[in-house]
Amino acid sequence: MPDPETLSQVLDAAEQRRAERRQFLRTASVFGMAAGSSALLAACGAGDKNKAPTPTPSSSGTATPTPTSSATISYGPTDVFAFALNLEYLEAQFFSQAAFGKGLDATLTAGATTDVTVGTVTGGRQVSFTDAVVQQYAREIATDEKGHVTFLRTQLGTSVIAQPAINIDGGATGAFTTAARAAGLVGSSATFDPYASDTNFLLAAFLLEDVIVTAYKGIIPYVGTATLIEATGGLQATESYHAGLIRSTLYAKGVSTASLITGAEQISNWRDSLDGTTDDDQGIRTDVNGASNVVPADSNGIIYQRTPPQVLNILFMNAATGTTKGGFFPNGVNGTITSS
Amino acid sequence: MTDTSEQLIEALDARAARRSERREFFRTALGAVAIAGAGAAALAWEAEATAQTVTDIDVFNFALNLEYLEANFYSWAAYGTGISSDMMSGTGTQGAVTGGQQVNFTDPVVRAYAREIAGDEIDHVNFLRTALGSSAVAQPAIDLSVGATSAFSKAAQAAGIVAAGASFNPFASDENFLLAAFLFEDLGVTAYKGAVPLITNTAYMQAASGILATEAYHAAIIRSTLYAKGVATPSYRTDADAISNARDALDGKTDLDQGISPVTPSDGSGIQSNVTPTDTNGLVYSRSTGQVLNIAYLTDAAVAKGGFFPNGVNGTITTSADSSAS
Repeated sequence: MPDPETLSQVLDAAEQRRAERRQFLRTASVFGMAAGSSALLAACGAGDKNKAPTPTPSSSGTATPTPTSSATISYGPTDVFAFALNLEYLEAQFFSQAAFGKGLDATLTAGATTDVTVGTVTGGRQVSFTDAVVQQYAREIATDEKGHVTFLRTQLGTSVIAQPAINIDGGATGAFTTAARAAGLVGSSATFDPYASDTNFLLAAFLLEDVIVTAYKGIIPYVGTATLIEATGGLQATESYHAGLIRSTLYAKGVSTASLITGAEQISNWRDSLDGTTDDDQGIRTDVNGASNVVPADSNGIIYQRTPPQVLNILFMNAATGTTKGGFFPNGVNGTITSS
Repeated sequence: MTDTSEQLIEALDARAARRSERREFFRTALGAVAIAGAGAAALAWEAEATAQTVTDIDVFNFALNLEYLEANFYSWAAYGTGISSDMMSGTGTQGAVTGGQQVNFTDPVVRAYAREIAGDEIDHVNFLRTALGSSAVAQPAIDLSVGATSAFSKAAQAAGIVAAGASFNPFASDENFLLAAFLFEDLGVTAYKGAVPLITNTAYMQAASGILATEAYHAAIIRSTLYAKGVATPSYRTDADAISNARDALDGKTDLDQGISPVTPSDGSGIQSNVTPTDTNGLVYSRSTGQVLNIAYLTDAAVAKGGFFPNGVNGTITTSADSSAS
C-alpha cells in the first residue's frame, strides 16, 4: 500500500484533472483496460465517471469562485458536528413541511446557550402529492432527517447550537426561486415552488441531498474518535440512500418527462458554478455506455466531497469567499464554521 | 423511525449492547458521551485500539474480496462478461468465477442501472487494487452459478422465495436481478460502515467513506426500484423482506437489517416507505467483518469458506463470526 503522501498526491491529482478527464477511464475499465498499476491513476487522474457538462457560470452575477484548497484547514469534532446540525435543520424543516405540513418541534431547535436566538423558518407547506410512492418517500426522509437533528443535538450536548434562520419559501422571493432562476430551471422572473407538485418537490430534494452527502464526506476526517467516525459514516450513508432514492426516482420519471433530466442537470451545473473550479457535481443523464448516472462519483467510483466553505457557497448561493449569509440561511449559520 | 426520548434511549442502549457484543473496542456509549466529553472517549478508544491487530491493508483487502464479488456479478448481468483477467492477480489463491450470464432486461431503466452499478464496482476493484499495490489480494473463487445447490439458490431457499431444493437464477429476469442485487448492496453498505472506523490513515478512511456512500446510492437505487415496482407486483417487496430476514438470521441476534415494505407510524402521520434501513437516529447499520462473512458464506457459524466464496476469501480477515448463539 502506498504511503499516505502517495495517496494524497493521487487524490489531489484526481481533483485537479477531473474536469479534463471525464469519460476515458470509465469507458476503459468497462472494456477491460489494464489496471493495478499505480501509474494508472497518476497518469490519468480521476475523471468523472460519466460524461459531465462543463459548468456554466451562475446567472446571479456573483463574484470570484472560491479556492478549493483545504490543505491547511483543520476543525475539531464540535465544529464539524455543529456545522452538520445547521444542514440537518435545513433538511428536516424542508422535508417535514413537504411531507407533514409542519416544522420541527420547538424542543428540537433551541441552543444550549440562552443568548442564541432560535431563527425563524420562512415558508414551507405540505405538498399535495399525486404519486403515493413519492409521498411515502417524503415521509420516510422527513423522519430520518428529524432523527439526524435529534442525534446531533444529543452528541453536541451542552455545545448544541440553535437553529439559524432558514428560508425554504416557495414564493417569488423565496430561496428556492432564487436558486431555480440562477440555475435556469425557471425564467428570470418566474417562481419555483417546491411544494407545488411531485416533480418540483423531487428537484428541490435533489438540490439539497447531494450537497449534504458531499458535506459529510468533507467533515469525516475531523470527527476524531472511531465511534464518531462510524456515526458520521452512518449519517453520510443515510443521506446517500436519500440522494439515491431521489435521483433514481427522477431518472425513472425522466423516461417520460425529459424536463426532469434537464432540470437535474441545470441544478447540478448551478451547484458546480458556486463551489470552485473543480467539477465535483453531476446530473443524472444517461451516458454513452447506456448507463444511468444516479451516483455522482469520480472515475474511482467514489463520491465527491466538499469542504464546509464549499458547502456554504452553495447554501448561501454565492461563489464568493468569505460570504457569511444568504440563500437558505438569510442570517448565516450558527457555530464556528460560518464562512463560505 | 420514531423519535420519542424513551425510544431513543432504548435505541442507544441497544446500540451499546450491539457494539459490545460484536466489537469489543467500542466500549464508549455513543449517545451517552457527548462531544464535550470526547476527550475521555478518545482515551478509551486509544486504550482499546492497542488490542486491535488489523491494518489498513487488511481492511482494504477484505473490502476488495467483496468488490470482486459485486463487480463480477454486475458485469455479468449488465455486459455478459466477468471482470478483465488482468484485474484478478494478487496475493493468496486466485480463483475463477463459476456461472454468470447477461440479463435480458425488459425494463431499459433497470438495464441502465445495472450498467451504471457495474461500472462503479469495476472502478472500486481498480481503486482498491491501485491503493494496495503489490499487497492486493487475488480474486478468490466466486460462485455466481444458478443450480439448486448454488450460493444464490441456497440464499433464496433460506429466504423462502424459492422452495427447498429449487434453483434461483438471478440472471433470469429483472425481478430476480433486483433481488440478487438487493442481497449484496445493503451488505456492502454495512460492511463499509463497519470498516471505515478501522482504517487508521485519514486519507484512506475518507476514501473508504466515499465508497460507502456509493454503495448506499446503489442500495437506494435497488431498494427504491423494488419498492416502486412493488405497487403493481407485491412480490417485489415481500421477497426483498424475506431476503432481509434471511440476512438477519445469519449475522447474530441483533436486528441489523430491514426490508422495504411500508411502515405505519403510530402517530397517524401516514405510511412511509423503507428505502433506507436505519436505526431510530436515522443512521444506517454496521456489520463487523465476521458478520459480513456470515452472510457471504451463508452460515451463522465461524467458518473460513462457503456460499459465494467456496474456497474462502483472500487476505488476513477470512473467518465468519460465531453468530449461532441466540
